Amino acid sequence: MTPLRHLREFHRRNGAGLSLFLIGATGFWILFMIVLPQLFMADFSFRANVPPPKWGTPEHYYTLEHYRYMIYGGGGEGSFNVIDLRVFFKTIGAAMLVTLFDAALCYPIAWHLAQAARGGWARLMVLALVVPFWVNEILRAFAFHILFGASGVLNSALMAAGVLDEPYDFVRENIALYAGLGYAFILLMIFPIYNAMESLDKNQVEAARDLGASRWRIHRRVVMPHAKPGITSGCTMVFMLTAGALAAPQILGGPGSLWFTQIIYQAFNQAGNWARGSAYAIILLVSCIVLVLALMKAFKVRLGEIAR
Amino acid sequence: MTALLQAAAARAPAARIGMALFVALFFAWLFGPLVLMGITAFNSSAFPRVSPWECFSVEWFEALAGDKALMEGLRNSVVIGLGVVALAVPTGLAGALMLMQVGERARPWYYSVVISPILIPGVVLGISTLVFWDRIGAMFGAGHKTFFYDGVFLTVIGQATFISAYCMLVFISRLQRFNPALHEAALDLGATQLQAFRKVLLPFLKPAIASAAVLAFLASFENYNTTVFTIASESTLTTVLAGKVRYGINPSVSALAVVIAAVTLLFAAVLEVARRRRQRAAAESEKIARGLLRSRTRKKPLLLEPALLMIVTVFVAGAGTAWFAGSIGLEECKAAVLEEKRRDAEERVRTFQQRQMFRRAAPQAN
Amino acid sequence: MTSEVALENVWIRFGDFVAARDINITIRAGEFFSFLGPSGCGKTTLLRAVSGFLEPSEGRVLIGGADMAGIGPNKRPTALIFQNLALFPLMSVWENITFALEVRGVGAARRRKRADELLELIALPGQGDKTVGELSGGQRQRVAIARALAAEPEVLLLDEPLSALDLKLRQRMRTELRDIQRRVGITFIYITHDQGEALTMSDNIAVMREGVIEQVGDGNTLYDRPNTAFVASFVGENNLFRGTVGAAERGAVTVETAAGALRARPATGAALAAGDDAFVFIRPESLRFDDAMEMENRIGAHIQRREFEGSFWQVFLDADGAEQPLKLSMVNDDAAAARRPGQRVTLGFAAELAVATRAGPLAAG
Ligand SMILES: Nc1ncnc2c1ncn2[C@@H]1O[C@H](COP(=O)(O)OP(=O)(O)OP(=O)(O)O)[C@@H](O)[C@H]1O
Ligand SMILES: [Mg+2]
Repeated sequence: MTPLRHLREFHRRNGAGLSLFLIGATGFWILFMIVLPQLFMADFSFRANVPPPKWGTPEHYYTLEHYRYMIYGGGGEGSFNVIDLRVFFKTIGAAMLVTLFDAALCYPIAWHLAQAARGGWARLMVLALVVPFWVNEILRAFAFHILFGASGVLNSALMAAGVLDEPYDFVRENIALYAGLGYAFILLMIFPIYNAMESLDKNQVEAARDLGASRWRIHRRVVMPHAKPGITSGCTMVFMLTAGALAAPQILGGPGSLWFTQIIYQAFNQAGNWARGSAYAIILLVSCIVLVLALMKAFKVRLGEIAR
Repeated sequence: MTALLQAAAARAPAARIGMALFVALFFAWLFGPLVLMGITAFNSSAFPRVSPWECFSVEWFEALAGDKALMEGLRNSVVIGLGVVALAVPTGLAGALMLMQVGERARPWYYSVVISPILIPGVVLGISTLVFWDRIGAMFGAGHKTFFYDGVFLTVIGQATFISAYCMLVFISRLQRFNPALHEAALDLGATQLQAFRKVLLPFLKPAIASAAVLAFLASFENYNTTVFTIASESTLTTVLAGKVRYGINPSVSALAVVIAAVTLLFAAVLEVARRRRQRAAAESEKIARGLLRSRTRKKPLLLEPALLMIVTVFVAGAGTAWFAGSIGLEECKAAVLEEKRRDAEERVRTFQQRQMFRRAAPQAN
Repeated sequence: MTSEVALENVWIRFGDFVAARDINITIRAGEFFSFLGPSGCGKTTLLRAVSGFLEPSEGRVLIGGADMAGIGPNKRPTALIFQNLALFPLMSVWENITFALEVRGVGAARRRKRADELLELIALPGQGDKTVGELSGGQRQRVAIARALAAEPEVLLLDEPLSALDLKLRQRMRTELRDIQRRVGITFIYITHDQGEALTMSDNIAVMREGVIEQVGDGNTLYDRPNTAFVASFVGENNLFRGTVGAAERGAVTVETAAGALRARPATGAALAAGDDAFVFIRPESLRFDDAMEMENRIGAHIQRREFEGSFWQVFLDADGAEQPLKLSMVNDDAAAARRPGQRVTLGFAAELAVATRAGPLAAG
């Protein structure tokens, strides 16, 4: 079929007004909000850093300098941009750890919710899970600051109990940050797993139990394969959100350590270097996507099953 | 919690108790920090803390109302939230309807593109929106006063990019339960495409539109990562908050959290009551169909539901009590705390001096 | 007003799959016409082509003599009652019924009045304010009919409208539907895989198999004079003998079967010649115990078992050389009571009551 025939068929099915709305709205969304902005940002990241009035002039030439900077830094060849690289790898690695931690934490909860809890109790638990996440992300981070601060609740309690003699600096050690990040996106881990598990036929589990399978074996052979799309989906969301988090690192991060998004933020808002900021944003985006695609490939899950 | 533990214990195996304990701990971890934060909002201490407890006070709530920057941010947040609802809900609807219609082969591609904003980090969306509209503005030779550079406009566009995808997911899941024969029936009875859409599909989607709108508003209201780039010289509640939290902490932030949590809980209660009502109505319909009931009972307005009235009363009473308890005797209490602190300090000074004296005296003793 | 419906050389393809193959049929104005066929044979597809939800890949659909090509479902003078009814769940009963008037811009007061008339017609007076969810299955059924009639179609299309109802209700609705059709006098095109429905209600029936129309005719014709093996096996119960044509004359053929040589009337259009593979069909009620050995066709058999059906007996027999048990039905009298399982008997039937068709696909089951 030619595109024109498709269009005529589309028009026949929807009528003029609706066709216009559908094509107009999705067209604007896809072109002007999703695709073109990403392309423009990519284009920008390959250009020299010149002040705004010179944008679009010949001085705004194409260059790889921002990507090179990320690896080699401002110094001569041979030296590496140790600071940015370390932050980058630390961000990715920590995001992975946080994701794993959340998955391990949420799996039993989702299981309990999907299979053990019943009726009103299950609804109450779902509600109890959702409500904390209607509170702002910043406020959630702030709550952790109160909890982990030098004169915070935890330190006061530990000192009163005689465990500590002087306040332990949870913030400098990034413990507050990791706890806060682990907390921030829990909901997006629980619900996909919960949804996947809920559709599991209870009889299957019973049958496996009848056959004498151990608890661990039932999970390995029956529940986990069934919940796999949910687990992958949850891990994808949590990883992307954690790696791309900005509020929690700004509020809970130790003074000596940065999150990669903070470097991007600084490039934009403090150094005014949009080109480098764009380049770093592209690096973050591409590496996250590559990692997630690799994960999906490894677990044989398709994109269509994600984000359901 | 104890009931849960007992119930679990009655069914014996250690694994069950372990599970119950785990669930209990999990929820403690979920609510603990928020509850502690809530408590700090009522402590008169200038630093948000639970202990030492100084005086029960609502002054931090009063400070909120007087905070100009915060109120300005709140206003912008509401404007942006409404803008996002107006943009993202129709866009998400169009995206979902389109998904139902694109050809078998194009569907995975289409889906990947429209779902991608959910997976793209918020900062990246913010940056790309900023750069794109800046370049477009430059192409049209637009000045810096035009909307291409306006923080509110850019933020609406930037947030709607991914919030539209959320809305789309809401619509997709509702549309999956739509019986396409209804649309065909309408056409068959002579409706135009637009009439069939307006009179059949749209009413069916109404609850989804409502939840998409709520979701869109909440997502917009609490967004930080995208906003912080697109907002330019303006501010929203979250950017103001972030600024406050990063540069000097005070308990009015906790007070704000309490307000937000209270509004949220109230909202959740309304939703739950509305859900119960719908369930009751559905059960009634079925009874009528089976001839067990003659006609529907009359519906009261939602706000007059006894359960809801009770919840609202509890909220108002709670706020009133807190207000009352927080204002009486506050000055005396504060004075007492101050006095105590002063005495404490004096005490410390005295011990210090004594120790000094003792130290000075000690060598002579040797 | 009522209209004739004609399909001319209609082909419908979904990719490589052919759902309708060269359909030619004329349905007279004011007729109650049924399409009868097993599940998946293309009945709904054909109906959708008439109502305008899909265009035939080839051929023409004519309603009242006018070619319907390019005319959408909302512009055709047809109304369709859907397989699952498709009542609008968010509208009240009366709003459902007058939807067709609403989209034409008729005012609420006049619609209300028309709804009351139609509710009267379908014997649900005063129920207009209920929601669809508050109706029982049979009531929904009738509301769907009223809703379609309110559009004042020239042709009413019904896609297995009774399939969701229980047996009692289904039988009552059959009579009601037929009544309504007589009263409104428009063309009804009715789809079903239930031959009982088709035979009791229709003026004419088209029997379909895998996208092909096998035979068109009234109930009697289909039952007594099936043209193909499929029709013979699908409509009513039949006993089958497979064989080869031995001799073919005008008005009678002899088929060599495992049960012996059987004479039968050749099916219309079968054009059987000596050596052709052929089937002989004989109805259970045409099969007799032939103790006197005087009938044209005779078969030896053992009585296997018998079932009491009230006014008659159903007897199952193992015939010599037959693959399947034969069925014989006889009125409940003393002679019948004397037939016991295990008895050796001779069966017989008249040649003019048996039909010989060309060998071909049979109805499943
Ligand atoms: N849109 C379509 N695309 C591909 N194949 C289709 C489509 N619609 C119908 N078919 C096929 O055409 C054949 C006929 O379908 P149809 O729905 O007309 O059957 P039917 O006779 O109405 O059966 P039933 O009694 O079960 O309703 C079926 O094999 C079906 O799979
Ligand atoms: Mg069908």
